[in-house]
Amino acid sequence: MKGKNRKKLDPQATWPRLIPEEEREEILRYLENRFGIPPEIFNSYEFLATAKNYWLFVRTPHLRTLEKLRIQTAGLLFLRKVSGYLKPTTATLQRFGVYARRGILDLDRYTLDRLRLEKKIPFTCSLEPGYVILRCEGKIWGCGLYLPEKLISYLP
Amino acid sequence: MAETPETADQYFERYREIIPDYPAFLEALSQPLPLYFRLNTLKVRDPSPVVEGLSRQGFRVEPVPRVPWFFRVEPREFSLGNTEEYYLGLIYPMTLSSSLPVYALEPRPGELILDLCAAPGSKTTQIAQHTEDQAVIVANDRRLDRITALVANLRRLGIACVITTVYRGEQYPLEVSFDKVLVDAPCSGEGRYRKGYEGELLFQKEGRTNLSGIQKGLIVRAYDLLKPGGILVYSTCTINPEENEAVVDYLLRKRQAELLDWEAPLPSHPGLTEWAGRPFHPHLVKAKRFYAHEIEAVGFFVAKLRRVA
Repeated sequence: MKGKNRKKLDPQATWPRLIPEEEREEILRYLENRFGIPPEIFNSYEFLATAKNYWLFVRTPHLRTLEKLRIQTAGLLFLRKVSGYLKPTTATLQRFGVYARRGILDLDRYTLDRLRLEKKIPFTCSLEPGYVILRCEGKIWGCGLYLPEKLISYLP
Repeated sequence: MAETPETADQYFERYREIIPDYPAFLEALSQPLPLYFRLNTLKVRDPSPVVEGLSRQGFRVEPVPRVPWFFRVEPREFSLGNTEEYYLGLIYPMTLSSSLPVYALEPRPGELILDLCAAPGSKTTQIAQHTEDQAVIVANDRRLDRITALVANLRRLGIACVITTVYRGEQYPLEVSFDKVLVDAPCSGEGRYRKGYEGELLFQKEGRTNLSGIQKGLIVRAYDLLKPGGILVYSTCTINPEENEAVVDYLLRKRQAELLDWEAPLPSHPGLTEWAGRPFHPHLVKAKRFYAHEIEAVGFFVAKLRRVA
């Protein structure tokens, strides 16, 4: 598994923008509505935005100063904007999914292995369609998409 | 006629006078390096599920006394990189002594910290963990491909307090001043050397690079990047005094730096104040040398300094 998750970095990467309060509240509302993750978990973090992604970065009074540096990345890739919807990354769910109270799909080992192998499997459950937290034997694996009668894996 | 490879015994003879219990040191070189991992407490506080999971996969896992979050693993020939615990970011495989520079750094939440030679990120991620993901860490490496590996580790461990940059360390821009800077310098890596079956020395050749020159450039720039009163930690995984005490001594002659004591969780020996007939600053006794056979990990050198002015 080692080394397979590497993605090419952009040598011309620029600083993402700090998002306004309204946009921040929209993100926090989504996480609370979909997964029951309390907004205060993120009190010590800022959200930064690039064209299609949101990044989580520790809140700091030094942000303006740090912008003098030519960076490759800032913080953790947190959410992606996919066709008008917000999709949490697997990294986000593995780190903060422990605070979730809903939107969690408990899979047995056989189903998880099959999902990882086939990427999309026939599946029915009582959850609302949308992005879900994949959990197996108490461990959070990451993000999946539940649609009527099928489950899609976004695990790397 | 082909040149006979140098044996480990021949190579390390030059350090006979400074390595404690030299025969035990040579003996230890015949053993493969022990395997360790750090538990990622940002994701998991209780080590039990991780230890049980690895045990089911055939590993024997024991906590390391005096070094929180570190575990020793046998058999050491297996790779932890193929385990579920690795994939889920619950563990970070690293040698035990690689944790020492971070103990010297004593990172705290809210601090602005630069890890000048950061990839692949063992110390960056350890700093993030020590500060509960609440320091601001700038992780730099001169090579983009190495930063890519570091970013993959940050993502795997779920760390949000790190900025990554790609600059030559010796020319790092001076626009930002830091509370603390860590220089885990590129080095000859003698602390990792092992013996092959024929007694020949096994190591990765570093070529003809002037390592000492690079290290001096890095340590001076690291000092210049500090706020007044800021802390600099310089470390290598080599025994060679030319890459250790001589580099710190160079900084002490060029800048107003002060060597500090620090508490290490592993047994150590004081830095040298003389090598090959050349005296070093007497305060170099405050630097620490860690030898592979005494700590059962890669040999290390760590010096902690403060910017005076």
